[in-house]
Amino acid sequence: MTVDYKSLDWKFILATVGLSLIGIMLIYSAHYDSSAGSSLNFYIKQSIWLLLAFVLFNAVFHIPVRVIDFIAYPLYGLSIILLILVLVAGETRMGASRWFSLGFMSVSPSDIGKLALIVALSRFFAYTKLPPQSKRRLAFSAMLAFIPALLVMKQPDLGSSLVFVVLLFSLWFWSGLSPAYLILIVSPLISLVAAFHWIAWVIYLVLLIVFMLILKPGILFGVIVFTFNLAFGMITPFIWNHLEDYQKLRVITFLDPGRDPQRAGYQIIQSKIAIGSGGIIGKGYLEGSQSQLKFLPERHTDFVFSVLGEEFGFVGTLTVVLLFGFIFYRGIRIASRCRSKFTSNLVWGALTIIFFQFFVNIGMTFGLMPVTGLPLPFLSYGGTSLLLNWTLIGIIVLADYHRSEY
Amino acid sequence: MSAYFIEKDHRAKIASVLLIIALMVIIAGLFYHQIIRYKSFLAQSEENRIRIRPIIPKRGVIFDRNMEMIADNRLSFTVSIVPMEMEKDVTLPRLAELTGADTLEIKKKLNANFISKYIPAAVLRDQDIGVISTLEENGEHFPGATYSVESVRQYVEGISAETFIGYIAEVAPDEIDNESQWGYRPGRLIGKKGIEKAYDRELRGIEGTDFIEVSARGQIIGPYGGKDRVPAVPGADLVLTIDAALQREIVKFYDSLQASGGVVALDPTTGEILALASFPGLDPNLFSGVIPDEIWRSIIDDPRHPLLNRPTSSMYPPGSTAKLLTAGAALERGVLTPETILRGCGGGMRFGNRVFKCWQEHGHGRLDLYHAVEQSCNVYFYQVGQILGLDAWNEFAVKCGFGKKSGIDISGELSGIAPSRAYYDKAFGPNRWSKLLILNIAIGQGEFIVTPLQLTQFYAGLANGGKVFKPHLLKEIRYPERSVQKIEPTLSFTLPFSQNTLSVLSRALELVVQGERGTAKGLRNKYYTIAGKTGTAQNPHGKDHSWFVGYAPSNAPRILVCALVENAGHGSEVAAPLAGRIIKRYLLGDSTQNVIAQSVAESPVTE
Repeated sequence: MTVDYKSLDWKFILATVGLSLIGIMLIYSAHYDSSAGSSLNFYIKQSIWLLLAFVLFNAVFHIPVRVIDFIAYPLYGLSIILLILVLVAGETRMGASRWFSLGFMSVSPSDIGKLALIVALSRFFAYTKLPPQSKRRLAFSAMLAFIPALLVMKQPDLGSSLVFVVLLFSLWFWSGLSPAYLILIVSPLISLVAAFHWIAWVIYLVLLIVFMLILKPGILFGVIVFTFNLAFGMITPFIWNHLEDYQKLRVITFLDPGRDPQRAGYQIIQSKIAIGSGGIIGKGYLEGSQSQLKFLPERHTDFVFSVLGEEFGFVGTLTVVLLFGFIFYRGIRIASRCRSKFTSNLVWGALTIIFFQFFVNIGMTFGLMPVTGLPLPFLSYGGTSLLLNWTLIGIIVLADYHRSEY
Repeated sequence: MSAYFIEKDHRAKIASVLLIIALMVIIAGLFYHQIIRYKSFLAQSEENRIRIRPIIPKRGVIFDRNMEMIADNRLSFTVSIVPMEMEKDVTLPRLAELTGADTLEIKKKLNANFISKYIPAAVLRDQDIGVISTLEENGEHFPGATYSVESVRQYVEGISAETFIGYIAEVAPDEIDNESQWGYRPGRLIGKKGIEKAYDRELRGIEGTDFIEVSARGQIIGPYGGKDRVPAVPGADLVLTIDAALQREIVKFYDSLQASGGVVALDPTTGEILALASFPGLDPNLFSGVIPDEIWRSIIDDPRHPLLNRPTSSMYPPGSTAKLLTAGAALERGVLTPETILRGCGGGMRFGNRVFKCWQEHGHGRLDLYHAVEQSCNVYFYQVGQILGLDAWNEFAVKCGFGKKSGIDISGELSGIAPSRAYYDKAFGPNRWSKLLILNIAIGQGEFIVTPLQLTQFYAGLANGGKVFKPHLLKEIRYPERSVQKIEPTLSFTLPFSQNTLSVLSRALELVVQGERGTAKGLRNKYYTIAGKTGTAQNPHGKDHSWFVGYAPSNAPRILVCALVENAGHGSEVAAPLAGRIIKRYLLGDSTQNVIAQSVAESPVTE
């Protein structure tokens, strides 16, 4: 298949290239030793990954859209098999079985799973004749998302398993479910949390009723939602009081991993100091004392944004945030002008994953979000993450290229 | 179009608005940190660094039942190394020089206690204040070295508390629980045995975290001014059922005897253990700091096994104390009445082609059940055993708690053996064993072996109308927020004996002390009556073990004592006087202080 490269969305691609190059620059700096004048070779590895990512990106938009459509469910099935296999036979690092080792590289099936779920959900939402709020439609799509989410949670990788759930909600929205309806579906979970204090719970229930009176979701649905809210809220204190102290603590850390003061807490403090001390224009490239003096752990992976903040200041962080903003803005436009429902869903799904990782990762570096171990797309060190994100960009560009077809 | 559906353009608009809000939130956060709070963060980044300091909570204190403190804490300094800040070739040798430790040892500790590059790993425990002040003042010469204050155990002396309290020591690799941040981290001290282990979670509290600011030269400047500090939650205090004064009395007695053995004393009406002692004992303070290798080796190599908790983890033939089980089973089965007189004892008896001896060379003559128990006649019980048979015996033994653990709240308990047909088939091959084995078992010899705790349980049932409460050491947990959790007695099982059988057995036990020819008549006194049974357990490895199990006051028991003295000969000669002394100490208090009068008024008196 020949491609007319001139009609590609080059601004969109160049923004992504720009972010990837900034990433390599920061990875170099993160392990730069000012006294020795050298750096660990992470940046070389990342450069090689980036070249591979370009190859993969180019390959992706040579794939006919029909083929992606055709392989949607087989790919999904394969990814589930891989997710089961990795639990049984995966490589275990730091207590988690998340990887297959291929010798020269490690493959994380949860990344393949994210891709597969985008394609599978896109296909399902594109062809189903059921209306958006149909229970069968909601149930089937939820099943598609929860199977990989639960498998990934078992690894354990809470951050990635959340990505699957977020993807589901996001595609529900994009395939026509109104946000208000979405909120009602999620409401029993809110009830579960609100019920930790009875006053908060009562206020929440009153708000829920008001919300439903305005929305008028239908008697049966309204009753079901309210019943679930009551049930979830009522079991909370019952379960909670029957937990052992250490189990309670486990639940608290599960909900809020940032409460691990000696690991995550320390990283956030160091990250905040790094970012905050960057000021407006930063300390200059390779001049970040916080990252250079190695007080900031994980600085080339999860906290690469903090290195940026320290060395390039607010100017640097704003530039990167705006580059991402440009990608998302452009992406939303691409998604909304695709004529085919399937490609539109694909673009939306790809954007959701990039956005979620972007928001959680940057939010984490200054304490807005819990530390979950999600990398910053295009900038964090990591081969599979880079390949996955560039594949997503490939899908978006491909869909845009074929926007008037199908 | 339904109300649940929104058009694509509309959705794109909603999405754009949400995107802008999200970007604004992030930009506002960055603006706040990088522009508004720039100065304060710059100051923190310039000269100084932030270091983690784990706050080790105060370990809970342990009290005896009368609120005497038996395990306390003292402060101790621990030197740690922050791996990320350390300069291997500088820090380690200098620390070794300062403390007199070995560089290799420090390195080994560092590797063993490594948690993460930026969390301090404990390398040297129990350092003196000189070392600490040197570190504090000359931090720059010891890059990465830091210290923390830890509470270390201090046990009260003279009660051989190691048996039930256990000790604490550095967590072992297989105990580390990385999953939970409140779990067992490398380098922390945890309970290794006894109460310290069983209730470690309660005693330990929850570790906190402090962040401190350190100058580039390694000097501590002060706490980091953030809201990130997580305070530690102190551990809960424990109140044990143990009576420390009673335990001290037992230690004194064993010290004078210079013997090995064990004692369990409990309140049969609740299962509360009043004393639990094992000899030779160890001073738990040996373990509070760092045990030098040579001391540890001498403990391990000691042929008298001082680490062994004899009442729960050592097994012996019960000797004649088991005759009450045989008697109870036979009464229950209806093959014996209290008045049954069997063939007379002439010092021994022939069964098949073997002669089974009685301990009394000249024989006891013709006896009924009461007097057979009183004088502990073997020949009488050989016959009872033969009539009863192995299967019936085993059924009752198991129902009386033999051959299985009592479930006491400290670990390391053994289950003993109550032999059955299946047991012998396995040991000797199907039907390749003599039916006469039951004769030995009936008098508490042969393959029947018990822990002193199991025997205690059985007699607690006899003393308490058949009800056996689970033996336990914990009375109360006192949480730091002042809530108190009391441990209620739990019924463990009921002896498979009717009230009639129980009263026959307790009458027989009273005769052992009160009877003209009772084997423990030396325990008779004017304040209260004791009911009990002596035992002499043949020991293939040496001199016989001496047993006594008894309770008092016999009509309303408040204490039951099971005493075992290894290689001490007859039960009546060593174990019984020991038990008598313990009972007296508990019921009458410290007689040298003349508090007898009051106790006497409360104690029922016979004779």
